Amino acid sequence: MASFLATYDFLLVSMVLAAVLALTLYLPLMAGQLSVASPGFYALGGYIAAIMSTRIFPPGPGLYPVSLVLLEMAVAAVVSGVLGLAVGVPALRLRGIFLALATIAFVQILGVVALNLDVTGGAIGIFGIPQPFSSAIQYMWLAVPLLLVSMLFVARLERTRTGRALVALREDELAAASMGINPTYHKVLAFTTSAVLAGAVGAVSAHFINTWNSRQGTFDTSVNLMAFVLVGGSRTFVGPVVGGLVLTALPEALRGIAGVDVLPAWLAAFLRDGRLIIFGILIAIGTVFFPHGLITPGLLRRLGRRGARPG
Amino acid sequence: MSAAPLAAADLLVVDGVTCRFGGVTAVNEVSFAVARGELFGLIGPNGAGKTTLFNLITGLTAPSGGHLRYRGEDITGLPPHRVAERGIARTFQNVRLFGELSALDNVMIARHVRTRSGLVSGVLGLGAARREEHETRERAAALLALVGLADRPEERARNLAYGDQRRLEIARALALEPELLLLDEPAAGMNAGEKRALSDLIRSVRARLSLTVLLIEHYVPLVMHLCDRIAVLNFGQLIALGPPAEVQKHPAVVEAYLGDST
Repeated sequence: MASFLATYDFLLVSMVLAAVLALTLYLPLMAGQLSVASPGFYALGGYIAAIMSTRIFPPGPGLYPVSLVLLEMAVAAVVSGVLGLAVGVPALRLRGIFLALATIAFVQILGVVALNLDVTGGAIGIFGIPQPFSSAIQYMWLAVPLLLVSMLFVARLERTRTGRALVALREDELAAASMGINPTYHKVLAFTTSAVLAGAVGAVSAHFINTWNSRQGTFDTSVNLMAFVLVGGSRTFVGPVVGGLVLTALPEALRGIAGVDVLPAWLAAFLRDGRLIIFGILIAIGTVFFPHGLITPGLLRRLGRRGARPG
Repeated sequence: MSAAPLAAADLLVVDGVTCRFGGVTAVNEVSFAVARGELFGLIGPNGAGKTTLFNLITGLTAPSGGHLRYRGEDITGLPPHRVAERGIARTFQNVRLFGELSALDNVMIARHVRTRSGLVSGVLGLGAARREEHETRERAAALLALVGLADRPEERARNLAYGDQRRLEIARALALEPELLLLDEPAAGMNAGEKRALSDLIRSVRARLSLTVLLIEHYVPLVMHLCDRIAVLNFGQLIALGPPAEVQKHPAVVEAYLGDST
């Protein structure tokens, strides 16, 4: 167990953080809005943490205090939320693919701004971000509670007045509006909540990765997050979480399978090097045969019933 | 037609409302008033502008001209959710339920404007929010029972039979606690027995909830039996207005439905 944790420490923490990020894409999607803006807020949160910990707080001896990381997370969440509100109000007038495009543009703009500012370290970025823990696996102390709290939040949300309003908008915006649900308000609310969460994840990630630059939270991250949600499932919060965990682990798992001796050399090479192709094929298969993802509310109901039966 | 008279008893006043889509005038200077408590029928051949008129009243379409007043207040051009907040609920000609959701959830959603819980209080499940959630569920269940769907609260809306979907839409509209209920062809796709049950349902909820009902219907016997007054639209124009017996004999109505007899 200890050696497993030591070997896969970085991967395990990455999986958990990916699961939280997948939830940031799921939140606007609950209201039927395909926004890929959250990598932008993730990048912003990371820069906030990186700048606060390297320039504002004086370096001390020993480990960086976890309380300051929590403070950075809070600041990142608030700033991302404010920016989310400012971007969300005009952006969420757009529908469907136009919203997706606008949010892609938003992510690109943030990237270009980060690349050209002095405070963000330009192309080099910010490195030597202080470590609150002595080993990577201890980041679980931040990542796991963050995931659990976000999951609990979204799970509860799905059973509240606000959550029902979001889902109603996803199902039929016109009918929802005719039932008294303010579409813009609820879309912006979902978008802003997503921004808050993404900012907090970014703050943790900056410490975890130790260096932060404009290659963090780019369009590539947007595509990954979409894959997490599309393959995992877009109709229940369990889907994105499972998608984030599994698809982040998948490349490593494929590398492991490729190491088995009995495989022909070409297959081993494909599994090792062709993982982006495999990823793409999975996304294509997933969207064609499981349009709502692998984990659907119906599947969860069936599992629940089976679990409830004695024996 | 001249501006509709504004009596104190009028709940909804449609005053010279016009709606143009490009070169087509879907609703042309239509004026009428619906009295509080009235069951008001809206009939006319296909394409007469009935559903467009519903869309204008509920804010889904902005009128090109004219005014809409509800309880004496100008509601012209308000967005749909603001109209719904004021107590106007509707069903749709081509059923628009939240298909992936359960029947109960469909009705619970429409309690939105009658409940207050916000994002934070709801998620934390604080006392008031918890009570409200419980009450929402109870009321929604009662409404399902009212329309005869008490035994299938967890059924997904899209899996219900067509007639059941129409009744579920009525339950959803009633969850808003409207004062004015707009029903767009509620009997479409129902058999004779279901139609009779539906007209009993409309009559009983109207009495119990002291509703004013505006009803679009193609099935003439239902309209004739049910409605206090009927307005007839043809090519976007109001061609007759009055009690069913009068309207039925109105020459313009006969011509609109049966063609020019001369």
